[in-house]
Amino acid sequence: MLKVQNLSMRMGDRLIQEQISFEVEPGTIFAILGISGCGKSTLLRHLVGLLEPAGGTIHYDAVDYWASDDAARLGLRAGFGVLFQSGALWSSMSVLDNVLLPLAQQASLDAAAREARARETLSWLGMESFADFRPADLSGGMTKRAGLARAIAPQPRLLFLDEPSAGLDPSSAKHLDDLILEIRQRTGCAILMVTHDLPSIFAVADDCIFLDTDSKRPIAHGKPSSLRDAPAHPTVTAFLHRQDVVTP
Amino acid sequence: MISMLGLTRPVAFFGSVVLSFGRSAPNRWRFRAPDFARVLADCSARALLIVLLVNLLVGAILAFVGAVQLVKFGAGIFVADLVAIAVSREMAAVITAVVMCGRTGAAFAAELATMQANDEVDALEVLGLPAIDHLVVPRVLALVAMMPLLYVFGCVAGLMGGFIVGAGMLQLPGSAYFDRSVDALGFDHLGLGFVKAIAFGLLVALAGCYQGLHAPRTAAGVGEAATRSVVAGIVGVIALDAVFAVCAHVLGV
Repeated sequence: MLKVQNLSMRMGDRLIQEQISFEVEPGTIFAILGISGCGKSTLLRHLVGLLEPAGGTIHYDAVDYWASDDAARLGLRAGFGVLFQSGALWSSMSVLDNVLLPLAQQASLDAAAREARARETLSWLGMESFADFRPADLSGGMTKRAGLARAIAPQPRLLFLDEPSAGLDPSSAKHLDDLILEIRQRTGCAILMVTHDLPSIFAVADDCIFLDTDSKRPIAHGKPSSLRDAPAHPTVTAFLHRQDVVTP
Repeated sequence: MISMLGLTRPVAFFGSVVLSFGRSAPNRWRFRAPDFARVLADCSARALLIVLLVNLLVGAILAFVGAVQLVKFGAGIFVADLVAIAVSREMAAVITAVVMCGRTGAAFAAELATMQANDEVDALEVLGLPAIDHLVVPRVLALVAMMPLLYVFGCVAGLMGGFIVGAGMLQLPGSAYFDRSVDALGFDHLGLGFVKAIAFGLLVALAGCYQGLHAPRTAAGVGEAATRSVVAGIVGVIALDAVFAVCAHVLGV
């Protein structure tokens, strides 16, 4: 479904990461790991088409995203759902209008069907009674759930989550993890999440890649439990066991 | 030349806005009607009081300044001409634009910079909804539509300020002052001020939106964008007014 090959990312002259390669299969949950500042969110912004890579390719269903024209890219993006780290709800709109706007891009749905879909999605995520609230009136957990509702309402094939549990208390984070698993089960979509929340990684991720700040490239790739039990790199060991990095 | 002046990005931004207007005819505008209505109200009714107040005071100041010299020659009644011509041709449009720059242009910049910092602009772009179409076009449209109306109100307030000083404090006959003001108000002066108001509205809206969408993604970036939009807007308005003055002179308006 998503295939990244030898991707490199730069901000001006500064190299962020390079030699990133991985694949995400339909119905799987893939995690991008790494310590703060390593470029995880930047990678996600490249994957959703907000930033153009300095090198390498990103294929969606065998279509090279950056080699496609604008119309083709728009078509590919129609299959994306994105939850940004801050929720990124449009502050001038109610929660319901936030969920309705992406649905308005689907010509196959009339206004009544769109509203029904939006309310159904909000209800699923426990946000129905907050449909008329403004984003400023929501708590952090509610903002994340409203953002998630906006991302999944158009029934995307690939869901991108940028640190979904960041800033949440442990029980809210656990609830969000359960929702992510439920979304995968009910919709069958692939999920790619950026996170450094250890309980979330082990609870939901099928596969992961670890980006290293020092070498500016991935240093581990595999199942989270496998990396924890048989780590190949001291930074990965320290990260997954919540220890200080031991420098030789 | 444009590159040397560091104007590449602003010119490209202006081009994007023009293209957006071109591809979205009025029946296909993509922004939400409630958002447009909110911006429209912010550019008109909510700005009216301060526009009236500032123009009233400017009209009064012009009358005082004119009186200093004209009364010496026994030509105090011509204060009415001076105020009418200066307000309709120049001051109402410029002062209204400066007020809107500090009020609405800065608000545009701060709002868009906040949206940028909160990833709200990215959330639109990911959906294939260009920020220009959804955020810039309604703001430009609203300010361009409302500036001429504010100019008219500014003119009335400026003339009123001059009348209050002329008739109330300089002891000029009220009916004579009124008659001279009406005589002095030609269509050429009013037309020039009207056209300026439209151009200034476009400039102030573009400056605010440009600075907002190109602000650093930080809390400090919001303040920076607001400041930059005010500075760019006011300097732009004065520079554009100078261009209008030269053109009007050459064309004999």
